[in-house]
Order: sequence, then structure tokens, then C-alpha cells
Amino acid sequence: MMQFFGETRIDFIRQRWKAIAVSAIIILAGLVSMIIKGGPKYGVDFLGGTVIQVHFPQAPNIGDVRQALADAGYGDIEIKTFGAANEILLRAEKQEEGTAISDAVMNALRQAFAHNPPEERLVESVGPKIGKELRTAAIWATLISLALILVYVSFRFEFIFAVGAVIALFHDVLITLSFFSLLDMEVNLTVVAAFLTIVGFSLNDTIVVMDRIRENRRIHRDATIEQLINLSVNQTLGRTIITSLTVFTVVLILLFFGGDVIYNFAFAMTVGVIAGVYSTVYIASPIVVEWHKKAEVQKIRRGVKVA
Amino acid sequence: MRRNNLLRTIIIGLAIVWSLWQLYPTFVVGRQKKEAENYLVQIERETGLNRDEINEALNAGQLESRIRQRLHDKPADSLQALLKEAASLIALHDKISKNETKTIKRGLDLQGGTYLVYEVNLPKLMRDVAKNKDARFEEIMKKLDVVAATPNADYFAALQASFAEADIRLNRYFGSRAQTDAQILDELKREADDAIDRNLEILRNRIDQFGVSEPSITKQGSRRVVVELAGITDKNRAKNIIGKTALLEFNLVKDPQIFQDVITKIDNLLKRDLAAKPEVGTAIDTSVTDSTGASGKVSKDKAVNVSELFAGSSIVPSDTAAASSDSVQVDKDIFSGNPFISLLRDVGRSEVAVPAQNVRAVERILNNPEVQKLIPPDAEFAWSNKPEKVADEQYYYLYLVKKEAELTGALLTDARPEIASGSGMIRQGEWTVSMQLNDEGTRIFSRVTGANVNKRLAIMLDNKVVMAPNIKEKIPSGRASIEGSMNAEEAKDLAIVLRAGSLQAPMQVIEERTVGPSLGQDSISKGTWSAIISLILVMLFMAVYYKLSGLLADSALVLNLVMLLACMAFLKATLTLPGIAGIILTIGMAVDANVLILERIREELRAGKTVRASIDAGYDRAFWTIFDANITTLLTALVLYQFGTGPIKGFAVTLMFGIAVSMFTAIVVTRVVYDYVTRRYNLKALSI
Repeated sequence: MMQFFGETRIDFIRQRWKAIAVSAIIILAGLVSMIIKGGPKYGVDFLGGTVIQVHFPQAPNIGDVRQALADAGYGDIEIKTFGAANEILLRAEKQEEGTAISDAVMNALRQAFAHNPPEERLVESVGPKIGKELRTAAIWATLISLALILVYVSFRFEFIFAVGAVIALFHDVLITLSFFSLLDMEVNLTVVAAFLTIVGFSLNDTIVVMDRIRENRRIHRDATIEQLINLSVNQTLGRTIITSLTVFTVVLILLFFGGDVIYNFAFAMTVGVIAGVYSTVYIASPIVVEWHKKAEVQKIRRGVKVA
Repeated sequence: MRRNNLLRTIIIGLAIVWSLWQLYPTFVVGRQKKEAENYLVQIERETGLNRDEINEALNAGQLESRIRQRLHDKPADSLQALLKEAASLIALHDKISKNETKTIKRGLDLQGGTYLVYEVNLPKLMRDVAKNKDARFEEIMKKLDVVAATPNADYFAALQASFAEADIRLNRYFGSRAQTDAQILDELKREADDAIDRNLEILRNRIDQFGVSEPSITKQGSRRVVVELAGITDKNRAKNIIGKTALLEFNLVKDPQIFQDVITKIDNLLKRDLAAKPEVGTAIDTSVTDSTGASGKVSKDKAVNVSELFAGSSIVPSDTAAASSDSVQVDKDIFSGNPFISLLRDVGRSEVAVPAQNVRAVERILNNPEVQKLIPPDAEFAWSNKPEKVADEQYYYLYLVKKEAELTGALLTDARPEIASGSGMIRQGEWTVSMQLNDEGTRIFSRVTGANVNKRLAIMLDNKVVMAPNIKEKIPSGRASIEGSMNAEEAKDLAIVLRAGSLQAPMQVIEERTVGPSLGQDSISKGTWSAIISLILVMLFMAVYYKLSGLLADSALVLNLVMLLACMAFLKATLTLPGIAGIILTIGMAVDANVLILERIREELRAGKTVRASIDAGYDRAFWTIFDANITTLLTALVLYQFGTGPIKGFAVTLMFGIAVSMFTAIVVTRVVYDYVTRRYNLKALSI
């Protein structure tokens, strides 16, 4: 039988404060960078504007591209290469009626690069109004998912488990968002889809452990909650490692081979998968532990009063 | 236990067969598309028509006539050769369109295309309908433009508030003097809703001009229209088609006698053309099925292959290799005597019904230059804009109308559906549409109706006949009522069409995404490769780590993917790039269910249970864990589906099916295999 671990007896719970500190540092750094930058760096989906992806047969000189655009009166367009050196991404702040911008830009480039004819590969043009609407829809989608999960998990386990799970999910999304802000990456619609997938995956992991806790509770009636959690995490460790490694491998493949279009999605997933596995043990479980400790203390106090 | 397993085995077997059957068309279409590509490239090269133009001509049955137009100065034999190519492409195109309804659709991001969202431009609409516009009015409207640009703001509430604030009653600028503010507001709201409906009607009427196999035009909320054109690479052409003002015209329908003559002439021409070829008609075997035509009389129709039917015809060039999919409904007895008429169904009254599957063949014949010569120079054929369903068959009507329109929609001021009061000729409670013409329109209409009593006047939107009512009497007043046993819905639609042709509804593009075809190709290949690499790696790992049990889990994984794609094909779901990511993720998630079960079985084995007992306990214990974990993921997928737009929706769909299918394969399929194996061999040890 091939195995990564035999029976482990790692005391996960004891190291919880260190882990929480690490999380807190990342999230704080992320929040600070978001405050400095004025919120996450939204893509055109959420901000409105126009993005044009242009493909050149040979890599053009960026200076020439800038010059050609400036001559056409589009000096304020942001230019960056995208993956390969012959893929140029142009981003304009405003969205004019229809394709006015993309047509003018493409014509200017075709004239300037007649010997290296550019090809328009993608245009995304979103009005500011739609952008705002999508932003609200994305936030709502995330909140409603979490609310539904809270209800379902409370119903299947107990309320405090659900609270722990949902806080852990929040933590995963915040960590991912922080990475995006720190690395100056764009948050667009697919990234939000990634957030919700992370929520699903991370929860999957949390539920497996909680399920074990529930089962162990029935077997070991006199164990403390720390012991129960440690035991359960250790028992499910094999499965956790295997599953997260598989998903992690798959997401890494997407990241490296999936192409530019889903790069951000894959990146969010990569961060989220790591956060998701870790948050089960170090975020959701401690919440349950602290809650139970408080409850015990109150029980004792009440006992003292009665006596 | 044993019988229960037999049932499960049958279910699994059925699921596998069903999946393969669902995926077969997708597989076939892929091959046919590659084949069509060769023809397309050749025709592109020879004629200089671009891809969109060719597709459009294909959808409208005009490819041959377009090619003839292009190559009229080329030698005849090269033209004939190319027409043969075109005929093969047409046959192939018909096959592909037939099959495509059963395949997994590729989203815009995977095949390239254009996605547009139009919104009613309320500020412009209000300015259009205002009866007088002074400086005060413009000042208030300017303030309101800000409101129009904020999401989810109630424009009309703001409008009411700002006019109230300025202490101006709405009837100073809108509606009539006698109306209260509330009444006027209601009317303005109706106007905005109507603007959307008018546009929707125009777009749907033009749908076949896009040269796309499945254009999608949907209303989103009450003020938006979403247009998705997959495969359209020339977005500006698409936008021109969409942005074109609707053309509403009133054309007189030619006398039934003339119509009959033309059809007979075409018929004779075809007959002469075919008589030169003795083998014609042999394709039709003598077995016939009875079906009822539109005329109500029983005809002996049979689906026959066009290429075989017109084998050797120069009017309908065909490719001998064309397969039997582009078939038409003909009655073989009639065909041998009247090849053209056999494609039509007589319904009397100077119009002819054509079964939907014959439309393209008829269109091909009508577009032939030889046939064109037989049509009177002042007339042209026109189709009805919507099919009519008679006894499970779809029919389009064919009209012969005067080329020159008598009057245009610009002369119309209003059109409303009304319930007849019972005065005059029609029964009380019957729906009619009343239209109001302006002064010039009234003059022209009075002259035209006076000179053509008892003839029919076709109402045409963008060159298609919406309706062709009879002129009962001269109408001097400029108020005409259109009758014709309509229900409320039909009357409403007709009124919308009439208004669409007279009043331009101001719309603006608020969102637009265009994906070039090369990027789509790139995305597909990258996505597919990622999926394959992921799958291989995961499967290898499972086989190494769990040995034979791992291999069993692997086969469940493959079945999972096959079933997932089959579900998508069955539901005609759209596969998008995020959707592919969803599939890849499903691979990862599906492994989880297997790992949970296998780890449990290992635990039980370690605890010293027998193989059978360990397997049973493993499945039983893992079941609820898997269930809980998957249900929650399903919840998030559902929310995504509710909130997401195009690509995100695609992602949510694949995720939902992936979860459902993976639960089935992990829990049911593998278990049945274990049960069979353990019962047959009475295992002492499990390869896990």
C-alpha cells in the first residue's frame, strides 16, 4: 500500500495563533494596498472602458505603437504586452458609442504597421453603467452564496460550525483579493467566478473535516474539542493532501498552459486552493475551539452561581 | 442485493449508451465542418466573397446566384465547376445545420463572434416624444441625463420629481392638455417598453441576414436587448444590419392569374431542363407516406433528396456525392409531371404555401438567372416573415408582389391593436389593428385603395410579408383598420411591426465584446490541452497510489467526463472557456469523491475488517460526507448561474452537471464493480 503518511499525530491546534498571524499579515497588507490604490484593480468588466487585444506577426516596438496611437489622438491609452511580445493589450478608460475607439485604433495601427499587419483578436467594451451593475451583482452573488452555505451547514451540523466555515471562506476570498492587489492584477468577471469556485472547494474541505469531528464526537465522548479537531484533521490528512494536490496540479496546469484569457482565473484558483486547505485547519477549527471553550467557562460560572 | 445490482447495472449501461448516442452528432459535425472548410476556402478564393457573406448567402439559399453575379465574366466551365462546389457546400451546410441542433454549442469566446447589449436611450426617447422643447425643458432634461447613467435608478420617478420641483406640469411638454401627470407618466413608460418591443421585432425579422447558424436575440429586463452572433467576425457589418432603420412598405400583391402563369412557366422550364436527363425521377421509390398538406387534401409526400431529384439539372446544380440530408417533401406523381409545383402546396388566393424544408430548394430555383427571366419585370417573389404551423408541419407563404412599393412606413403616425365594437363587418370582440396615416399618407392611401378594391395589399417589413389583407373599399380618411381573425397576441405584434417601420426607437450599445476567430481557436486548443494533461496526470497518480482500485476510479473519471459532455449536448448547453475551466475543475473535484471512499476503505481494512465489510463500510461512511460537500458546491454554482452573464453562466452549468455526474459515477458505478468482483472472487486482499 502506497502512503504519504501513516497515522499522524500532529498537534495542529496548538500552532493556531502563528497561522492566524500569517493570515492577518497578508490580509492587512492587501487591505493597505487596496486603500492606497483606491480599491481592487478592476478590469473593464467592472469599471467600464475598452480593452483591445492586438496580435502582430512580429513583435512591434512599443514606442512605435505608442506613437501611432498618439498621432491618432489616443495618447492616453494604456499599452502593455501580454504573454508573448507580439501580443499587445490596449486599454482605454472610456467607452465611446459602439466600436468607435477600437475601429479608430485598429485603423491607426494598420497604417503605421503596414508591413507587419496587426490583427484584432479581442475587443471588450463595457459602458460605465453596466460596469457598476456587474460589480453589485458580483458582490451579491458572493454574499448570497455565503448566506446559503451558512444556512445549509447550520442545518446539517451546528450553527457554530457554519460560522467557522463561512468565516474561513471569507478569509480565502480576502487572501486571494489581497494577492491580486499586491501583485497589481486585474479583477474581472472570471476572477469573481474563481472566488466562488474557491468558496466551493474550500468548503468541501471544511465539511470533510467537520464530518469527521461529528463522527468522532460520538465515539470519544470525553475528549476535549481540541483533541477532537486534532484527531479528525489527522485522520483526514491523507485525503486532504491528495485532493488538494490533485486540484492544485490541475490549476497549475491551467495557469501555465491555459492561455492568457484564463490566466487571472487560474491564478486566483492557485492562491485560493492553498488558502482553502489551510483555512479549514487554522481558521474554521479555532473558531469552533474558542466558542466551545467560552461555552464551557460559562457553564462552570453558571454552576458556581447555582451552588 | 443481487437484483438491486442488476438494476443498477442496467441503469449504468443505459447511461453509457445514452451518452455516446448524445455525443455522436457532435463528433460528426466536427468532421463535416472540416470538410465544409475546404469548400469555403475555395469559394472565398474564387469569388472574393468573404466568410460572412458566404454564410449569409448559404442561409438565405442565394449562394449560387451570388456566385453567378460575381463570376458573370468568367468562362462558363469554370463557373460550372464552382457551382458544383457550391452545391456540395449547400448540401453539407444543410447537414450541418440539421446536426448542429443536437451538438454542444461553442460559446462566443471559443469560436469568435460578437456580443452586444443594447439599451433604450431614455433621454433621447423623451426628447423625441416631447411636443415642444424650450430652454427650460432642456435644462431639466440635462439634469436627468445623469440619472439615466446610474444603474438601477428609476428614471421616470426622477423625471416626475424634477418637473414637480420646477413646478411644471408634465402636460406642458408631453401628452395632451387634458391628461394628469400620472397618466402621462404611464404613457411615457409604455413608450419605453414599446421601443424595446419594436426593436426586438425588427431584429428577429432580420435574424437570417446575419449569416449565423444560431443568432440569439433576447430581451433582458424591460429595457435591454442582448444580441449574440457566434462566428460573426465582421462586427461592423453586424452592427450595420442591426442599426439599419426598419423598412416598412405596402406593396400590392399581383393578380392570382399572373402568379399561376409564372409558376407554370417555371415548372415547364424545369421540366424541359430535366427531360434532357433520362435518369431523373428514378430516385423516388414507389413507397409513399400519406401526409396532409396545407391545402387539407391528402397528398402523397415523401422526403426525397434534392441532388437525386434534380440530378443533372443545370437549374439546380448538384453534387453527386452529396449525401441524403438535404431532402425535400414532394409527391412523386406530381414531380414527374410538374417538378417545380411538386415543391409547393396550393392554398388558393394568389399565395402558395411551401413546407419549411422545401424553402431553400425553391429559393435556389427562383434565384436562377433563367428562372428570373420568367418573372414579370415589375414583380418579385416575397416570403412570409414567419412560418405557420399546420398539422405538425411548418409552412412559409410565397407571394408575388409589385416591386414598387405604394407607400412606406414613414407616412404612418400610429398603429394600435383594438377590439372591434361590433359595428361594421366584423364580429364584436374580434381583434383588429387600426393605423393612422399622416396627410401625405392619407392622400396616397386613398388613391391606392380606391384603384385596387378587392386586391390584396402586402404589409412588408424588410422585404418580408407580415400580412396581406384584402382591400375592401376606398379608405379616404387615413384611418385604416386591418382585420383578419387575429388573436390579441397577433394583433399586438402586427401593431408593433407597423410602428417599428414608422418610428425609430433610440437605442445605444452599452456593452460589446468581440472575439476574433483566431483567439477562439487558440483558447480551444489551450483549454483542451490543459484538460488532457490534467486528466492524464491525475489518472496516473490514482493508478500508482491506489493500484487496481485507482484504475477503477480512473474509469469512473472517464465515464464522468463523457456523461458530462453528453448532458451538455442533450441540453444544448453552451461551452465557454470558463466552462472548459469548469470541466478541468470537475476532474479535480471528482477525484475527491473517489479519494474519500478509498481512504475510508483503507481505514476499515487497517482496523482488521474483511474486504467485503471494509468496502461496504467505506461507501456508507463516505456517502454523507460526499453528499454534504457536493450540495454546498452546487449551491454556489446555482448562485453563479443566477447572477452571471454569458461565460460565467457557462462555467456554472458545467460545474453543476459535473458535480451531479461525479456523484453518480463515484458512488454508484464503482460500487457495482466492487460488488461483482468481491462476490465472484471472494477476495482475501484488495488492491488498494
